[in-house]
Amino acid sequence: MRFFGLGKYRVIVLTVAMFLVFDLGVLVLNFVISSQIAADALAVNMAGRQRMLSQRAAKTLWQISERAAAGQPAGGETAELAEAVSLFDETLTAFLQGGSIRGGAGTTVTLARIDDADGIAILQRANAVWAPYRARITTLLANPAPSVDEVRSTLDVAHSANLELLKLMNELTSQVEVTAAAKATTLRAVQIGGITLATANFVLILFHFLRKLRQGDALLEQAKKETDDILVTVNEGLFLLGRDFRIGSQHSQALEAILGRKDLGGADFVDLLRGIVTEKTVGMSRDYLDLLFGERVNEKLVSSLNPLDVVEVHFDDQRGGFVTKYLEFRFNRVREGGVVAHLLVTANDVTKRVQLERALKEAHERAKGQMDLLVEVLQVEPDALRDFLAAAALCLDKVNTLLRERTASATDRREAVIAIYRLLHGLKGDASGVGLSGLAEAIHDVEDLVVALREKHASLDGNDFLPLAVRLERLFAQVDALRGVVNRFAQIRGVVAVEPARPATETDAAQAPLVVRWREFATRLAEKHGKHVQFHYHGIDPGKLASPYREALPTVINQFIRNAVVHGVEAPAQRLIQGKPAVGNLALYLAARDDGGVDLSFRDDGAGLQLAAIRQAAIDRGLLSAAEADACDARRLVELIFKPAFSTRASADEDGGRGVGLDVIRAHVNEWGGNIRIGSTPREYCHFRISLPRPSPQLSAGAAPAHGEAA
Amino acid sequence: MKLLIVDDSNIIRSKIARALGSRNLEVVGLARNGHEAVSLFARTRPDVVTMDLTMPEMDGIECIRRLLELNPDTLILVVSALADKATAIEALKLGAQGFLCKPFSEEDLAEAVEELIKGAVHG
Repeated sequence: MRFFGLGKYRVIVLTVAMFLVFDLGVLVLNFVISSQIAADALAVNMAGRQRMLSQRAAKTLWQISERAAAGQPAGGETAELAEAVSLFDETLTAFLQGGSIRGGAGTTVTLARIDDADGIAILQRANAVWAPYRARITTLLANPAPSVDEVRSTLDVAHSANLELLKLMNELTSQVEVTAAAKATTLRAVQIGGITLATANFVLILFHFLRKLRQGDALLEQAKKETDDILVTVNEGLFLLGRDFRIGSQHSQALEAILGRKDLGGADFVDLLRGIVTEKTVGMSRDYLDLLFGERVNEKLVSSLNPLDVVEVHFDDQRGGFVTKYLEFRFNRVREGGVVAHLLVTANDVTKRVQLERALKEAHERAKGQMDLLVEVLQVEPDALRDFLAAAALCLDKVNTLLRERTASATDRREAVIAIYRLLHGLKGDASGVGLSGLAEAIHDVEDLVVALREKHASLDGNDFLPLAVRLERLFAQVDALRGVVNRFAQIRGVVAVEPARPATETDAAQAPLVVRWREFATRLAEKHGKHVQFHYHGIDPGKLASPYREALPTVINQFIRNAVVHGVEAPAQRLIQGKPAVGNLALYLAARDDGGVDLSFRDDGAGLQLAAIRQAAIDRGLLSAAEADACDARRLVELIFKPAFSTRASADEDGGRGVGLDVIRAHVNEWGGNIRIGSTPREYCHFRISLPRPSPQLSAGAAPAHGEAA
Repeated sequence: MKLLIVDDSNIIRSKIARALGSRNLEVVGLARNGHEAVSLFARTRPDVVTMDLTMPEMDGIECIRRLLELNPDTLILVVSALADKATAIEALKLGAQGFLCKPFSEEDLAEAVEELIKGAVHG
């Protein structure tokens, strides 16, 4: 149970209360005993006065006796005697019974009754002596003219009674003094005891509170040390913000580095923001802090509106420039007694995070841009795309030339601007026309710069062209990127569509006599037609093939080479325009399968099968009607190239055009029970794949087919 | 508790009604602008209002001012895009208690309204 709700102050209240009780008790005892001592002092005084009164009565009687002997009447002595007797009697009665008596100087004092046994015995004895003595004096005083004898006999009584009374009053005085001394001793004991108890209590209180203070100090010290450790170690800037927007006296060490200044305790947070963020952000921040200090808004439901969530700040770098950082401030209400007393502010330097996020976003946008470009490229007709790229290269070269020559005169420069505008405008139209909207937008941006130059009224100088040169450089890069995408895409399509696994090349197989002959044949044939080719070989030594493949292979390969060089590979200039290397590539793969069969792959990176030309040739040669040709799909058209006497070449020469060749290969393959497949992309490649089974004994025993043809 | 939905987008109104109608909140009105909201508010006396800020005729700021004149104890959740933080803060200064950014999921909305009501009960 709580002690009147005093809590941790219960002990101090109890001990102080005890201290007061002790002091009060001692005070009361002191008062009582000192009152008694005062009464005893009066008694001693009155006992002493009794001795004096007894002496005075005896002395006055003697004077009256002397006067009587001289025959003189008594004068004032009679009244003095009566007064002394009255006072003595009154005082003695008061000693025995207690009561008020006349003191000195006309005052009245109260005399306490003597109540100890020895005192009472003395008083009784005194009363026994006093009573007859008083009676004789009273009788004497009653006689206005006493005789000498009467006076002398009373004087005789007085003589013996006075001595006795003096002795008894001395005893009484001593007795009262003893009693008073005993009381004084008691008083001292009480005082010493009380003071001792009070002192002990005080020492107890002192000890108790010193211990409590030491414990409290130790706890405070420990808590302060822990807080200091946290504030020194923590990476975040931590501080409490008051309702006046001032930073509290305690803050983490990191805050100084984050805010780039010291002496932050007591600083005005809003003033501090004013130097490093925009005025609009300062205003919004003040409003936001007001909202948090208010009670109406829900703290959790407004955090997304924090204007300092991530804020760009600029600090003076002390060298005339500034440093840009990104800081994050978070605010949490701190309540005291249910009221928002402070905001706990957590500040972080998130510059690296923001920069990383931006870099990631840019990378993402770049990747997305490339993906968009790829998607656009996929949707554009390949021929149109190649034509566009060729036109773009030409156009940009012209623009570049105009820019290089711009320094002649202001008039020339203005004409150059108009010419550049026309070129770019045309190119933009081409880009839109083929569906490259992203590139069209980029060209449009450059066009805007050119328009600005065209509309500039002041004369143009060389510096005016600098931004244009920079943007044009970027446009070149975009067109190059587009070309790269197209080329890479062409490669991917080739590989994915038809590229077989490349067979392991036997040692020296590429130098086998047959392979050397094929290579020489390809080179010679290409030179004859004004072309350049490289012949690549991978696989087994073709001389090791089983019969009849070994014997028939030269015919097949020579036909492929002839077909590729004459019909497929383009002239070097044409290839360069199309973004291809000037030298064409012929690749032959030859692999022996585990089942005894043979796989053959022949690929060239020339023009591919020209479906339109095949269609036209089929009509020209009467193989199909125009209607049939139009209705023919690509697969059926490709089949036509294996027809005897079919050629797309307009005029025949020794190397092609007579339509002899592919039909011979088809005839061999059919005879051997194999199959032949063709893959092709216009302007990219043409690829033949032949798969032959293990040769049958009949075939092996037979002679080489009659269609054979040596290189 | 009774709920009034204020938004000029039919899709958003439906989404809010769907998300909150099934959570012990009785949708008592759907308003397309501030005028409709004030009229519906006076008639239906809702406890909670979801408030768009950018609306034709009467915008959210003016609407919040009018609704709180009618009943200062109304709980108002501003549901708006983050494009203009300053306007949203203005709405809160007028007396709205919370803010939810568009676009939002139905769960986000339900949690925000729950928090709004809880905050009002526990002070």
